[in-house]
Amino acid sequence: MTMIASEPGEHAARPPSAPARWRGWLLDRASLLIPCLMLLALLAVYGSMREGVFTLDELNLDTAAAMTLMLAATGQTIVLLRGGIDLSIGGMISLGTVIAATQFGDGGATTLLWSVLIVLLGAVVGMLNGALITVLRLQPFLVTLATWSILAGTALIILPIDGGSLPSGWMAFGSGSWLGLASPVWLLILLLAFWFWFKRTRTGIAIKATGSNERSAFLSGVSPLAINLWTYGLSGVFAALAALYLTTQTGAGSPTIGKDYILPSVAAAVIGGISLFGGRGGLVGTIIGAYILTIIGNLVFVLSISSYWQPIASGVILLIAVLASSLAEKSSRRNLS
Amino acid sequence: MPDFLEALSVAKRYGGIVALSDATLKARSGEVHALLGENGAGKSTFIQILAGAVRADSGSITLGGERFAVRNPEEAQRLGVAAVFQELSLIPDLTVAENIFFRREPLSPLRTARAGAMREATAELFARYRFPAIRPDQELRRLTLAERQVVEIAKALARDPRVLILDEATSALAPRETEWLLGLSRDLAAEGKLVIYISHRLGEVRRIADRVTVFRNGATVAAYDTASVDDDTIIADMLGRQMERLYPERRNTTTGRIALSVKGLSVENRLADLDLDLREGEVLGVAGLQGHGQRELFQALFGAARASGAIEVWGKPRTIRSPRDALSGRDGLALVPEDRRNHGLLLAKSVRENLTLSVVKRFTRFGLTDPKREAKLVDDMIAQLRIKAGSPEQAAGTLSGGNQQKVIFGKMLLTDARILLLYDPTRGIDVGTKGEIFTLMRDLAARGYAILFYSSDLAELVHVADRVAVLRYGRLAAILEGAENSEHQILRAAMIDTRAA
Repeated sequence: MTMIASEPGEHAARPPSAPARWRGWLLDRASLLIPCLMLLALLAVYGSMREGVFTLDELNLDTAAAMTLMLAATGQTIVLLRGGIDLSIGGMISLGTVIAATQFGDGGATTLLWSVLIVLLGAVVGMLNGALITVLRLQPFLVTLATWSILAGTALIILPIDGGSLPSGWMAFGSGSWLGLASPVWLLILLLAFWFWFKRTRTGIAIKATGSNERSAFLSGVSPLAINLWTYGLSGVFAALAALYLTTQTGAGSPTIGKDYILPSVAAAVIGGISLFGGRGGLVGTIIGAYILTIIGNLVFVLSISSYWQPIASGVILLIAVLASSLAEKSSRRNLS
Repeated sequence: MPDFLEALSVAKRYGGIVALSDATLKARSGEVHALLGENGAGKSTFIQILAGAVRADSGSITLGGERFAVRNPEEAQRLGVAAVFQELSLIPDLTVAENIFFRREPLSPLRTARAGAMREATAELFARYRFPAIRPDQELRRLTLAERQVVEIAKALARDPRVLILDEATSALAPRETEWLLGLSRDLAAEGKLVIYISHRLGEVRRIADRVTVFRNGATVAAYDTASVDDDTIIADMLGRQMERLYPERRNTTTGRIALSVKGLSVENRLADLDLDLREGEVLGVAGLQGHGQRELFQALFGAARASGAIEVWGKPRTIRSPRDALSGRDGLALVPEDRRNHGLLLAKSVRENLTLSVVKRFTRFGLTDPKREAKLVDDMIAQLRIKAGSPEQAAGTLSGGNQQKVIFGKMLLTDARILLLYDPTRGIDVGTKGEIFTLMRDLAARGYAILFYSSDLAELVHVADRVAVLRYGRLAAILEGAENSEHQILRAAMIDTRAA
């Protein structure tokens, strides 16, 4: 049983030509470049219709408007990278706002204490999701659908209708600014700093790896339970943070507001190039996706057309983003073979 | 020199099935030690015990004089045992360097992985062991199967193990990388490491192994110095009998009728202007160095690659754009794919479901399946192919490699297609099953099937095929038959330009 002993040299690895390398580089990053281009195009349209779009004021306003979605979508991004999905953030956001609106009192120590408790609750609820998914081997979609319902019901028991009150100092958060940048922008900078740190930690790498190939990650020594506790726990924490931020904007608790963030958080991530199959994408894309969704809202407002056009436009943008990424992926695969 | 690794009477049962009854292996540092045996002889279970993936029921193992009882792969690795299994443990969306250091990333003071350090360490490792050219910063999903196998080996080596276990590590490699790995095994032994090498390719074993241990039915039956034993003795030990002839008698059953005719077939720049006729009752071999168009030929015929050119099936022009076009009934084509674990079988489904998946129509009446007719088809096929399964309901993934391949053959035969495309059907299969598959191929040819057969093992082509088409740079370099059909002539045609320029 002799084997062929040598092979012609043409198959040796050789560096690709310069244009081919550029093409490959662009195709590899298409899932991030496409949302960047879409955001630029939207900004160009928006800027041509209104004065003052390209100012720090506009950045401050848009970031303030998008921050709840950005926080919720940060958790969703981590879950999607893991290859899962978290619908329970809807219930957690509602519950967070009603607890804040009923318990914060006049500010000071109580507010701080309850803020910490809300974030802890988010972590516990998320870790419970993770534990149920791992131990009972249930679909993330179904588990988090159930916990969403439970959390939303709890929120309605605590505060049946929108209301409650928040300390005035709490609501002043959004109007703070430093170096011309409003506090939500600084929050965004913190968020990105967290991301660039987290994605390089062993846990961050393991979450992405598990989403990329669960079996291989397991064979390499990743504990499925630990990964799901981290993933869904973090998602819960970011949902709680989204709730807290939301109350600084609305000044009230709402037992039903959370559902408005579930699918947009997925949409922002997917527009930003995150694969629903896990393993691919990052927070920068999600943030751009969140800005895109927010600017669409602004455009609908500026055009003074019915606000019902906003979800339609969002849907079209989502389709374009998904289609473009999938074409780029196919083309880069062909490039390779 | 005392034995570094000493495993005595190791046993392991899974429920009622005895995987290992009395496995003994003694190996020294600084040697390449081959572990041989048919599929199902217990080699896999044994090395999984060494690697910490499976725990033994009884027996004793010592490593460097100390008791070796590990509960998981991490412990085994900490004690210096690293294994490269056939099932890869790599992450598609991480880079080569990230994969090699996955879970052991060097950390900065901020607890983040140091990407630069990992890249450098990877480059250093590659340079030290003269790895084939692979960029450390490339994402793994951009690599070929062979390159991934090489990265898996690097991942094991990066732990600087005292014992390296290679399980069929060359089965996915091209000849050049195979050569490299054989050299690497020798180098590691020269460094004082113990390399445990599992392969079905006796030629490789003979070239690099100092000693061999042979398993049969879960027990050690023999251990030799490689130099003092001949191939026939080893094969007899593996089979437990003198080897029947591996290759069946070849009778020419070719008729004048052309089953499959290909004219001017081209696939992008991989296959150019190929003309080929496959006749009824014929086994037509396809040979070539890896990457010279064999895979594209099979994919194009099965409708899995875009091709231009004319294809005639049983005399009628056909356009094959998707596997569905290729599969249709008695006049169709059926393929045994290259990667049976991913493309040929649904591992979690039963033998029955795998066999009948693509022929549900054959036992459907008025839109409902008829379990009795299905059971008959399945039982016939299991008996005909001698598939060793507890019951038709056993999950395909739990069968041995050879029996999985038989299930794929059964699935293909049930489609009633009489043109069979066999792409390396014996890869990673034990000697006994190989012989059965060759016999089956010749029987099918005698019954009027037309078989196109690619193998990476030239001896198989020489002994089983009636004619061999040799590809070179995507073109037909030669068609060899009769006395011309020899390993020497095939290699010559595959490597040297025999046509006038």
